[in-house]
Amino acid sequence: MILVRAPMRVSFVGGGTDLPDFYRSYPGRVISTTIDKFVYLAINNSYKMGKFIVKYSENESVNHPSEIKHNHFREAFLDFGLTKEGIEVSSFADVPAGTGLGSSASFAVALVKGLNAFLGKTISKEEAARSACRLEIDIMKEPIGKQDQYAAAYGGFNIFVFNPDETVTVEPVLLDYKTLINFEEHILVFYTGQSRSASAVLAEQSANIKNKLIEYKKMSDSVYKFRDSLLVGNMEALANQLHENWLRKKSLVSSISNSGIDALYESGLAAGAWGGKVLGAGGGGCILFVAPPGSHAEIRQIMEAKAISVGLKDFKLINVSTTQNGAAIMFNSNSNKFSN
Amino acid sequence: MEQSLKVLINESVSALQNLPLGELAKAINIIQSVFERDGRIYIFGNGGSLALATHWVSDFNKTVFSHNLSSQSRRFQAIRLPSTESELSAWANDVGFDMVFAGPLQNYLQESDCVIAISSSGNSVNVIKAVELAKAKNVEVIAFTGFDGGKLNQLADAKIFVKTEPGRYDTVEGVHDVILHVIIKYFSDYFDYVCSKQPKK
Repeated sequence: MILVRAPMRVSFVGGGTDLPDFYRSYPGRVISTTIDKFVYLAINNSYKMGKFIVKYSENESVNHPSEIKHNHFREAFLDFGLTKEGIEVSSFADVPAGTGLGSSASFAVALVKGLNAFLGKTISKEEAARSACRLEIDIMKEPIGKQDQYAAAYGGFNIFVFNPDETVTVEPVLLDYKTLINFEEHILVFYTGQSRSASAVLAEQSANIKNKLIEYKKMSDSVYKFRDSLLVGNMEALANQLHENWLRKKSLVSSISNSGIDALYESGLAAGAWGGKVLGAGGGGCILFVAPPGSHAEIRQIMEAKAISVGLKDFKLINVSTTQNGAAIMFNSNSNKFSN
Repeated sequence: MEQSLKVLINESVSALQNLPLGELAKAINIIQSVFERDGRIYIFGNGGSLALATHWVSDFNKTVFSHNLSSQSRRFQAIRLPSTESELSAWANDVGFDMVFAGPLQNYLQESDCVIAISSSGNSVNVIKAVELAKAKNVEVIAFTGFDGGKLNQLADAKIFVKTEPGRYDTVEGVHDVILHVIIKYFSDYFDYVCSKQPKK
């Protein structure tokens, strides 16, 4: 039995510059942190000999992986050559899919890391990130970028630089505990209750990158400004940068927001938040605010009232802390059978 | 006399001032992430470095939490290798001194752990063997070295390298001890801060 987990992430500035249409002409950059919300997978030999059993929001039990409906499982089993002897995988997540916290990539990273462990192999952070990108982008043909797979594999606060030659440079942003805790005390994450598919938004984004290169370059360059505000603990400056980037992004991709989300975002600012953004590729998911800690209770109250008035019944606050951990094998009952 | 003492002391002062702080930050980050996932920290070295490893285990496991022993139930799990003299002599006598760290490390090591390897020359064969085992399992390695850093400095993920003339064990081991206490103080302050923010029961 293998138990593997990979963290979700909150991405701050530069999302979209990790798409090939951009980074092939100019280095893409994203700054993000992993959070204490994880995707967990338990992987074991199938208790029914020869059956392929996967458990997520649905349960599937089939005779050959090609019959599996869940895209990640099907393509990963086929790619890993797990077609003869059965396998059983159950998935668990601290928050639902479609929240904009990068859970799809966390799932992919956990899966490739876990399947390697199941086959007696250990892989590095870089290998886990690349392998998950290969699964989702090359094999599954998702029109997505690479930032989430890298965030989930490496863990912690990082700047990722997406180079034209397809390599990714990881620049850790190392914060002392006081700065990090202060940052955590300033952020608020609300789940709108509207889950969305990143793919639709990203497809629109990819289609128009070539016409908006200057704006994307500004976003890519601004990650360092965000980092510098973070390093000196200037939360108000950092919030303003988030807000500016959110406005810029909205002007680039119309489907990233809608009137309901705009109204929620505005009411958060009116209640005292310095700035924020919609998380992930947008179009629903979560809203992040950076706000003085003293205003959090009021923002929460106003946001919850607003959400009810626009009919978002699953709207809620998600308590988020950062984690320095990337994907990790938490338990491996086979580990002593495989010596290096 | 005082002048010559001052020269000796200034050598350590200068070594301390030239420490790679970015690497020290990286080391602290690795230890933090191991703590968060409840992994273990294995520490080893030869001679004075083994004494430092022993000291480290005590400070990590107890001293860091001294002010918060009742409120902080999750604590560091640092282990000096080998953890008994019996294992040390068994591996050395039966297999060879090269295996005194790698041998016992193999019994414990999981991917969620990390390793702190201490070698002034950076070339102690038994230390390198254990570090190679960790690297093969993708376990992160924090290295404490001196002189020119040796092979250990090249292999490590966080390279705490005290650059000196070859053979200056005195300076290197002294500075390693100071860094140990800097890391201990950092985490001690961290847990004091975190615990001060928790509501009183």
